[in-house]
Amino acid sequence: MNTSNQRPVVIVMIEDDQGHARLIEKNVRRAGVNNEIRHFADGTSALQFLQSSETTANGPLLILLDLNLPDMTGIDILTILKHHDRLKRAPVIVLTTTDDKVEIQRCYDLGCNVYITKPVDYDTFATAIRQLGLFLSVMQVPDA
Amino acid sequence: MTRSLGRDSAVRNEILMLILGFAALVAVGGATVWLVSKSDDFNRQVATTLETKNEIVRTLSLAQDAETGQRGYLLTGEERYLRPYRSSLEKIDDHFRRLGELIGPDGPQRQDFETVRATVRDKFAELAETVGLSTSGRRAEAQAIVLSDRGREAMVQIRQLVSRMTAREDATLAERTEDAARLSNGLLAVVVLGLVIAAALAFVAQLLVRRQTRVLAAAQQELAQANHGLEAAVAERTSELLAANGEIQRFAYIVSHDLRAPLVNVMGFTSELDAARGVLKEQLDELTESVPDKIRPEAREAVEVDLPEAISFIRTSTAKMDRLINAILRLSREGRRVVTPESVSVTDMANAIAATLHQQTAGVGAEIVVDPSMPALVTDRLSIEQIFQNLIENAVKYLDPARPGRIEIRGRRVGPQVEYTIEDNGRGIDAKDHERVFELFRRAGAQDKPGEGLGLAFVRASVRRLGGTISLTSEPGKGSTFHLTFPAVLRPQTETQAAA
Repeated sequence: MNTSNQRPVVIVMIEDDQGHARLIEKNVRRAGVNNEIRHFADGTSALQFLQSSETTANGPLLILLDLNLPDMTGIDILTILKHHDRLKRAPVIVLTTTDDKVEIQRCYDLGCNVYITKPVDYDTFATAIRQLGLFLSVMQVPDA
Repeated sequence: MTRSLGRDSAVRNEILMLILGFAALVAVGGATVWLVSKSDDFNRQVATTLETKNEIVRTLSLAQDAETGQRGYLLTGEERYLRPYRSSLEKIDDHFRRLGELIGPDGPQRQDFETVRATVRDKFAELAETVGLSTSGRRAEAQAIVLSDRGREAMVQIRQLVSRMTAREDATLAERTEDAARLSNGLLAVVVLGLVIAAALAFVAQLLVRRQTRVLAAAQQELAQANHGLEAAVAERTSELLAANGEIQRFAYIVSHDLRAPLVNVMGFTSELDAARGVLKEQLDELTESVPDKIRPEAREAVEVDLPEAISFIRTSTAKMDRLINAILRLSREGRRVVTPESVSVTDMANAIAATLHQQTAGVGAEIVVDPSMPALVTDRLSIEQIFQNLIENAVKYLDPARPGRIEIRGRRVGPQVEYTIEDNGRGIDAKDHERVFELFRRAGAQDKPGEGLGLAFVRASVRRLGGTISLTSEPGKGSTFHLTFPAVLRPQTETQAAA
């Protein structure tokens, strides 16, 4: 994963389920993506990190977002991110179990870049995440 | 309650009053009729009295005429002077008969009448005698009879009697006239009374009618308000129910989603476990070649038998759980889907479904017979297709291999509803399971066919969403018939409300 000035992209994973987070990380790594992955299990701490001046000053971000979080919905986080001066350009990939049409529409309306439904069947899940990893490895991320 | 009771008794009193009023009016009418007929009688009596008086006076005049004729004849000896006498003689008998009738057999004048008749008869006998003597030329004898004063006295007596009888008749007349006047006064009073009662009744009746109308109008208004309140209450309850239903569906949706998330972990880490086991097994195989003595048989069995078995059970169980959750999701999603009514030819649809099942039915020698004249429906196409698809597939699935299968699909219109039946000659369903088969995850009979117990639960949910009902008649070993009833035209207002 590259940026124009070659600063490493940090992947911010907001996922309340530790198991999911681990499986996602494993499969992203298997696709050969070696970028730093910062994991947050709830919306509050994730937003705290994202909105800190340190983070906004420090290089490009890519956000993996789950919609079902204990303290807020992913939709709330997406709304905040896309209204943030610096963070609005960071690509957001929604990765969730919900495949409700209305939810998908809403996420794209709010400016999410990719919406992926987590398959329950693990082989499909692993394949999907690995393909996402491959996709990430060729993706251009704007420097924040 | 008390108020209405009071009103009831007031109404009863009013009715009683009206009835009394009408009774009085009828009595007045009766009295009037009686008085009028009475007055008629009086008038007739007055007329009789007048005639009687005339006849009485005429007695005297007839007697005088006869005497005048006799005198003239005795004086002149000329026959023509006898004319008044003869004329009176002719009339006298009729006259007395008539007078006798008028006076009656035992009236107050009877005695005088008899006396006057006898006296007149005497007088006429004397006249006849003198006229007879004179005619036979014995005028002197005739004059002697006249001079005997016999005739004159009779005349005096007649005059007295007539005068007395006339006076009596006059008195009667006066009396009767007075009675008639009194009667007509009474009649007038009664008629006036009747008019007054009628006017009073009319007044009271119109008061009552007006008040009744007011009461009715008030009651009507109350009723309208009550109706309005009822409608509002029903609308409120309906929206509450719709809200509750929507909540349940959302709940089912959220729960099934939340159940899915841990399932991803179970399946994911099972795969990771399997992959790890693969690594261990490779290592074990390498070690077996180099240092076979170091490998305990339990370790080999654990890696090669126990772990794969455990992993396989976890996988089949999670796969099943996934299917169940998907079923709930599908049900709840179907419940949230907005139905869009359109015209659906059920015959075409059933034929299409039969065609897709052709391979299966042909394989077991079964046939699906679709009634070509089934009534069409205005309903949600997708839902109705799923309903028929499920039911026909079930019928095919549970055919009895002991006999050639036959599935009949029929339909008919019943008023605003349409009834469809799907009848098979399959294995049938025991009576105790007729309700159970419609429940989620429940199945009946021998569990020798694959399935999760979802189809009929889904069918019933869909049927209800289309405003219909589904029921089942079946006998084990004979076959089953599913009865569907739908409104011929689906009106989706409540559904759109639920979706909104």
